[in-house]
Amino acid sequence: MELTYLVIAILICVGLYAIASKRNLLKIVIGINILESAVIFLFVFSSYRPGGTVPIISGNHELFVDPVPQALALTAIVIGASTTALMLGLVIELYKRYDTLNITEIRKMRG
Amino acid sequence: MASPIWLIILPLITAFGLGIVKIFSKKLLKPFLALSATIHLILVIDVVIRAFEEPMIYSLGGWDRLFAINLVIDPLAAIMALLISVISYLVVIYSLSFIKEDKSKYRVPKYFLLLFLLIAGMLGMVLTGDLFNLYVFFEIAAITSYALVLIYKRDGSLEGTFKYLLAGTLSGVFILVAILLVYLSTGTLNMARIAVKFAEVPGQLKSIILILFLTGFGIKFALVPLHTWMPDVYPEAPAPYNAISSGVGIKASLYAFIRVIYVLFGFDFIANTELTSLLVVWGVITFMVAHLMAYQQKNLKRLFAFSSIAQVGYIIIAVSLATDKGLIAGGFHIVNHALMKGAIFLALGIFIYYFKAETIEDIKGLGRSLPLTSFTFTLAALAMIGLPPFNGFLSKWLIIEAALESGYTVAAFFIPVGSLLSLVYYLRVLQSLYSSGEPKPRVDFKRPRLSLELPAVILGFSCLLLGIFPRLPLDMLGQISHYLLDSSNYINLLLGG
Repeated sequence: MELTYLVIAILICVGLYAIASKRNLLKIVIGINILESAVIFLFVFSSYRPGGTVPIISGNHELFVDPVPQALALTAIVIGASTTALMLGLVIELYKRYDTLNITEIRKMRG
Repeated sequence: MASPIWLIILPLITAFGLGIVKIFSKKLLKPFLALSATIHLILVIDVVIRAFEEPMIYSLGGWDRLFAINLVIDPLAAIMALLISVISYLVVIYSLSFIKEDKSKYRVPKYFLLLFLLIAGMLGMVLTGDLFNLYVFFEIAAITSYALVLIYKRDGSLEGTFKYLLAGTLSGVFILVAILLVYLSTGTLNMARIAVKFAEVPGQLKSIILILFLTGFGIKFALVPLHTWMPDVYPEAPAPYNAISSGVGIKASLYAFIRVIYVLFGFDFIANTELTSLLVVWGVITFMVAHLMAYQQKNLKRLFAFSSIAQVGYIIIAVSLATDKGLIAGGFHIVNHALMKGAIFLALGIFIYYFKAETIEDIKGLGRSLPLTSFTFTLAALAMIGLPPFNGFLSKWLIIEAALESGYTVAAFFIPVGSLLSLVYYLRVLQSLYSSGEPKPRVDFKRPRLSLELPAVILGFSCLLLGIFPRLPLDMLGQISHYLLDSSNYINLLLGG
């Protein structure tokens, strides 16, 4: 239980580290994706109940996993996918203009 | 008698109906957009008038209020919806002439698709009574904003937008985690039910949630030091987007933050913690830093971006006081800033459209070439500084009064200092506008198109009108604190006692 939270915390730190310190645009995008995945992981994990079944009431089961965070996680995945698509499109465009993916060099070229 | 959900659905239908209309006839595109925007404005006015008689609740899908996603239209939401739709309407009309086709013939439909989605997102943000729904609309508004900045694909816009995307995604993650924590500690996403159960949440967890919300929304409404995306993004974006973003886009996030701290955390939390003094100091820092940065700018859109950040500082001070007067003053400044910045950016758009004037040097001599536009620009700039008899003066005065009443003398002292600083750089702009120069217009220029000039003029003169006749907006704003300062009123409204 605690171990899973630790994994999530490590994933969030890895994502933030990549965003803050990497100079390559693609690595920054990957960092954002890791961060988002960690949050989605947190959503799914927080709805988990040991021994629970799918939240479809059929009469036999008493314990269900919480369906709300799962629904939220789905929405978050969709939003994450669209931002990633937009970002990658932007990265392609930046590469076409400046012929490099290094953010420092792009800034330098812009002056 | 339109139901409130149409305020959100109509822009969505318009956005996705554009493609179909374009297949039938390209000439129909613009009348279709104008018609839809007009119907939307009428619907909003109708709903707002009814909401002021009695606050409205609309449960999506006819579910019980406890389970459904609700639209809650209390006075503050109604004022924000009205403001958003008025500014959006003028911006849509303006954009119909402003946005020109590119070679591929797709720019106009693309632009309007994104613009209408942005409008739907902002309206959803202010109307919703469900926390996760708020997040969804927040992201709709955010993603369309990133794409709108890129519509011209100018060199400078790429790197700025990447920064914006990065900041925006981080803010989304912060808000998402905050919402998850709220859900885990209360077991619901309905704002009123959260408010009921939130009192039992331990204080430490409350503080963590508050910090997450503050940074999340703070990135979007450009709280110093989270503001850095804004000055990089604005210079490259099309002027109508600047108007809608500065005027109402950042205000929607601000509204969401106000709603969260007042309804979720409640008046007791604000009164018992140091939240007010923290936010007041932060507000002062925000507007002082922004004013000082604005003073150094040569690019006009960058300058106005910093000026927008400064106004957010004033609003934060006013609304965080948690008094009746503070909320009215803050609300009035939100309305006024939307009108002033709308007028300024739309007038600046005309300068750019006909003269490609982007820096302070470029606008020299335009006072004579574009007399009416320049006059509008001047009116709005004087209102921004906060000179009487304009609306900016009134709202800043009310903020000072509210701050003094709550005992924040230092903050109240800094507000006129900030105004003095803005006087310096706005006068520099105005001086350049009316000094002699040889502007080089585009070849076909005689006088600006009416559809470009009229929206700017309407907004500019409304600054003067609201300054002289402030009774009506202040009466409307007088009702907002009832549902904010005492969250039990909001709970009773939504859950029915």
